[in-house]
Amino acid sequence: MPGKIAVKFYALLRQRLGMSAIEVDADGLTILELLRRVEKQAGRSFLDDLLDPEHLLLAGTIILVNGENVRLKQGLGTPLRGGDTVDLFSPAGGG
Amino acid sequence: MNGWMGKIIKIDLGSGRQEALPVSPETRRRFLGGRGLGVKLYTDLCPDPLDPFAAENALIFMTGPLTGTVMTSGRYQVISRSPLTGTICDSSSGGSFGAVLKAAGLDGLVITGRADRPVYLHVHDGGVEVRDASTMWGLNTQQTQKAIHGQTPAKTSVACIGPAGENLVPFAAIMNDRDRAAGRGGMGAVMGSKNLKAVAASGNRAVVIADPEAYQAMNARLDRAVDKNPVTGKSLQVLGTSVLVNVINAHGMFPTRNFRSGVFNDAEGISGEKIAESLLQRQSACYKCPIGCGRTTRTANRNGEGPEYESVWAFGAHLGVSDLSAITEANYACNELGLDTITMGSTIGCAMELHESGALAEKMLWGDAGRLAGWVADTAYRRAFGAELALGSKRLAAKYGRPELAMQVKGMEIPAYDPRGAQGMALSYATSSRGGCHMRGYMIMPEILGHPVFLDRFSTAGKPEIVALFQDIAAIVDSAVLCRFLQFAMGISTFSEMLRAVTGLDFSDEELLTAGRRICTLERLFNNRAGFTRADDTLPPRFLQEELQAGSSRHRRVRLDEMLDKYYSVRGWDAQGVPLAATLTELGL
Ligand code: SF4
Repeated sequence: MPGKIAVKFYALLRQRLGMSAIEVDADGLTILELLRRVEKQAGRSFLDDLLDPEHLLLAGTIILVNGENVRLKQGLGTPLRGGDTVDLFSPAGGG
Repeated sequence: MNGWMGKIIKIDLGSGRQEALPVSPETRRRFLGGRGLGVKLYTDLCPDPLDPFAAENALIFMTGPLTGTVMTSGRYQVISRSPLTGTICDSSSGGSFGAVLKAAGLDGLVITGRADRPVYLHVHDGGVEVRDASTMWGLNTQQTQKAIHGQTPAKTSVACIGPAGENLVPFAAIMNDRDRAAGRGGMGAVMGSKNLKAVAASGNRAVVIADPEAYQAMNARLDRAVDKNPVTGKSLQVLGTSVLVNVINAHGMFPTRNFRSGVFNDAEGISGEKIAESLLQRQSACYKCPIGCGRTTRTANRNGEGPEYESVWAFGAHLGVSDLSAITEANYACNELGLDTITMGSTIGCAMELHESGALAEKMLWGDAGRLAGWVADTAYRRAFGAELALGSKRLAAKYGRPELAMQVKGMEIPAYDPRGAQGMALSYATSSRGGCHMRGYMIMPEILGHPVFLDRFSTAGKPEIVALFQDIAAIVDSAVLCRFLQFAMGISTFSEMLRAVTGLDFSDEELLTAGRRICTLERLFNNRAGFTRADDTLPPRFLQEELQAGSSRHRRVRLDEMLDKYYSVRGWDAQGVPLAATLTELGL
């Protein structure tokens, strides 16, 4: 649907939210605004899994917009458009 | 002596003669222990490359100055020439065997010769006893450990081989503490060639700490740092290493069907998240490890350890298999029979593509989950088509006239990150001293996971310098010896602090980085003598010529030509990849 953004949750974030995906009406919002809206819509807070108290991305947090890391775009200020897919990974590692 | 136990024994299995191998304080300081000191002793003893299965070839079990002290220090390294690659090789394993070897009084054990019948070694009270293992030949790794536990004191730790090592499969692993593996490069086959079924260690000697007060304060601080870090304090515990399945798949670089795609549609079904809600019984941890990334699991039929990320991939996406139970049981079979899961899975995938392309008649079909465990067993016993799989992918693909279908570097199969998705990782694969391995310089950390800084994965700028740095740091951690996952929570200055507190020597970060460079260069010198040149520092043509077609790495290929010259010059090697005389002088080699 135009205007809708598919948001997927991975790693510990998924356990915390108890769901693996959500659809949000977020055309024109930035990533940070999207995250706040998702918190509201999901009824649970989770920003501290991804961001530090100053609202900067934690080392290891991965946010992809259509597969591209927002750190290579405008970070939390990256604008979104309807039809985008956003992948949210709380810090994860392995080898 | 602080840190080190001060004793390394060399034993000749042919004559049974053993002697203490003197190592000067200066050599210890310059090569630390583990991988570094092991490679140093190995190349001194066997300067001219030998057939890995020759009786004279040395096989070295080595611990480091930190083994048995700080967190994650139960590990050990095994060093020899690899029968899979022909390069110098060291293989690392967790559990507690390293710490127990030191408690038995030794820093390391150098083994040469061939016993005239199966034996195992029991290390205790600072000495080595040769014991008969005739009745254990043929047993799997768990049965072997049980049999040895029946003959040795409580809390003995055993590192052993299974049938694959006995049958000289060139990617046979050494297994210890039930399911911990020194997996890569076929160190288990070198053991088998010596008629050596196991090394057991027991004892309770303590490692002497130079500065106990600083040591205690540091440990308390590091415990907090590991606990506070979201990766070491939480993600690895709850989700294990397989949390990477979804991460790497979302980056379009999760190797699927022998690296023909970077996107596996069933990734969710084999992910760490899925394992946690289905097969997982509990987490497990190595000696003194607060992280505990291990998985104790259960399928409908069996229980055991794992699978870890690499194994989930090797028997999963790589083969087009999404049956998590079948993947897990193939992993159990590798543990029991003593095989490296990465090379095993990758070789099966190579055979599947050979079959599909018409080069191989044997019916090897993508997604054939039901036959996985059978192929593993046939490989370990070299029976039926397993005799061909036991070649490893490079020799198998060459035999069937399609060498380009083996996804390997220098004969070692590339693990679960398509190099087209991360240029630094690609360079690291191409230049690693033991072939296609991710552990020599884990560029996924900065390029995908953003530790300790985030780097653009598709850029080649600055990558040669960073790859060399990551390789040097890896060499230090492998020589200290600690678990590499600590690197998510701490950096080089913490490692030097640990070494200072334990050994009392005034190690600086700089001195350690030079040691790392020295170790990598010493390995390079050996590989040069073994015939490896610039031409071998490359990747299969698939990665250099074919672009990925789907996912977020689509239209990407590896641009090695933009990085290799620079890498050599950063390393102080000439244009052919041979260390310059000035570099050797600077490093004291
Ligand atoms: S993090 Fe995992 S591999 Fe490393 S020491 Fe701990 S349990 Fe072992």
